[in-house]
Amino acid sequence: MPVSHDIKGIIRHVAEIIIDELKLEDVTADTFNPDMDLVDELGIDSMDLATIALVLQDEYRITIDEDDYPKLKTIRLISEYIEEKLVTKN
Amino acid sequence: MEAERSMQVNREVKLESTKPKFSELLAEREVKERWEKVRKYFFLRESTYDMSNRCNIRCDGCYYFEGEKQFAKEIGDVEAWRELMQAEKMRGITYVVLAGAEPSLVPELLDVCYQEMPLGSIATNGFKKIPESVGYKLHISVWGNDETSLKIRKAKDLLKKQIENYENDSRAVFVYTFTRENIDEVKEVAAELVAHNCKLTFNVFSSPVGYTGNLRHDDESLEWTKQIMIELLKKYPRNVLFSVYNAVAHTHQKGLHDLYGCSYPRQNPSQDIGLGRSFRQYRTDLNWDRSVACCVPDTDCVDCRHYAAGSAVVTARLYRHVNSLDTFKSWLDYVDTYLAVWVMGYEKGENLCAKILEPPHAAV
Repeated sequence: MPVSHDIKGIIRHVAEIIIDELKLEDVTADTFNPDMDLVDELGIDSMDLATIALVLQDEYRITIDEDDYPKLKTIRLISEYIEEKLVTKN
Repeated sequence: MEAERSMQVNREVKLESTKPKFSELLAEREVKERWEKVRKYFFLRESTYDMSNRCNIRCDGCYYFEGEKQFAKEIGDVEAWRELMQAEKMRGITYVVLAGAEPSLVPELLDVCYQEMPLGSIATNGFKKIPESVGYKLHISVWGNDETSLKIRKAKDLLKKQIENYENDSRAVFVYTFTRENIDEVKEVAAELVAHNCKLTFNVFSSPVGYTGNLRHDDESLEWTKQIMIELLKKYPRNVLFSVYNAVAHTHQKGLHDLYGCSYPRQNPSQDIGLGRSFRQYRTDLNWDRSVACCVPDTDCVDCRHYAAGSAVVTARLYRHVNSLDTFKSWLDYVDTYLAVWVMGYEKGENLCAKILEPPHAAV
């Protein structure tokens, strides 16, 4: 299935990837708050974030710089970062 | 200048086009299985704790008896330690490293830590046996044969005593520290440990700040150490917990910080995520200081090749190790080794990559 590149589609897909990679059971892509702080509120660590970043790189064929990882604190911030990268790429 | 920039861009484009997708790296069954095996432990978040300011031996180059921490008051109150462990759990710590000066001298504190925090390890000289009720990994420091131990640790028959205490103990991993002076001696020591079915891994002497003695490595001794490590890994694959990439990473001319960028607070100002956010190094008075917090405080960072530091620093650099299948396999071997050395019940798999690869640079 093609990956949607509008911000709403990206937010949804990022949520799906996080749920899948972290095996989260109490949340769905529809109920995942895109502004939840993934580190402070969800408790993800650097290794989880690195894994998610690698999967997102594959999905969107972009490069996520390691120095940018700390910026990616919420699903919305991740999605905006991806959107920006896609614009630059095209 | 423009030509330089153009070359840089071309290089980046070339790297980008040859870099495999992460999913492609996971296409091989054995790689995928190893990845799934190690990633189950990504929840581990460590901090370290000095247990006592006493030791029953005194070694040349001991990091504990450098700097201010050796003068901290010793708090031996069991309930104070229980409260500390409970508070650590509350802030997300899932793994404790109990170290300096000699934890076996305070078994009642080890017990209470284990009751509160089930995953951890203890760095000990192995002279006094730690009760079996403490189910942590035990790292028994070995600096050479008995003659060398007598010379630099002032301890008689130390290896003999260590083996007596920990033969057939699944908690025990003997950690042979290579100094500039004991490289060839490891063959005799490894043979002795293997004869008693002990597990061993390797450490590289990392000088305390200001240390200029004979134990400090030079380029030649590091290269020789690497060759011997790989030789022993091939000779005793069931007993030696190590990989070729471990050997490369810990014997490189550059130390771990220059190679990978140390993620411990002492060298890492970021408190956003990872060790820079969660790691603390408690002294015996149960206080900690962010500016000196790392797993081997008072080590000269430029010379740091310490096995404990590498376990966190190399592991954390996953994203630098996905540029080729061999690099990724080497990283998996490294993490598999680290977990086998540090986590009770984790069994090391066969190494996936026997090639000697240069550690990847940042942002490549």
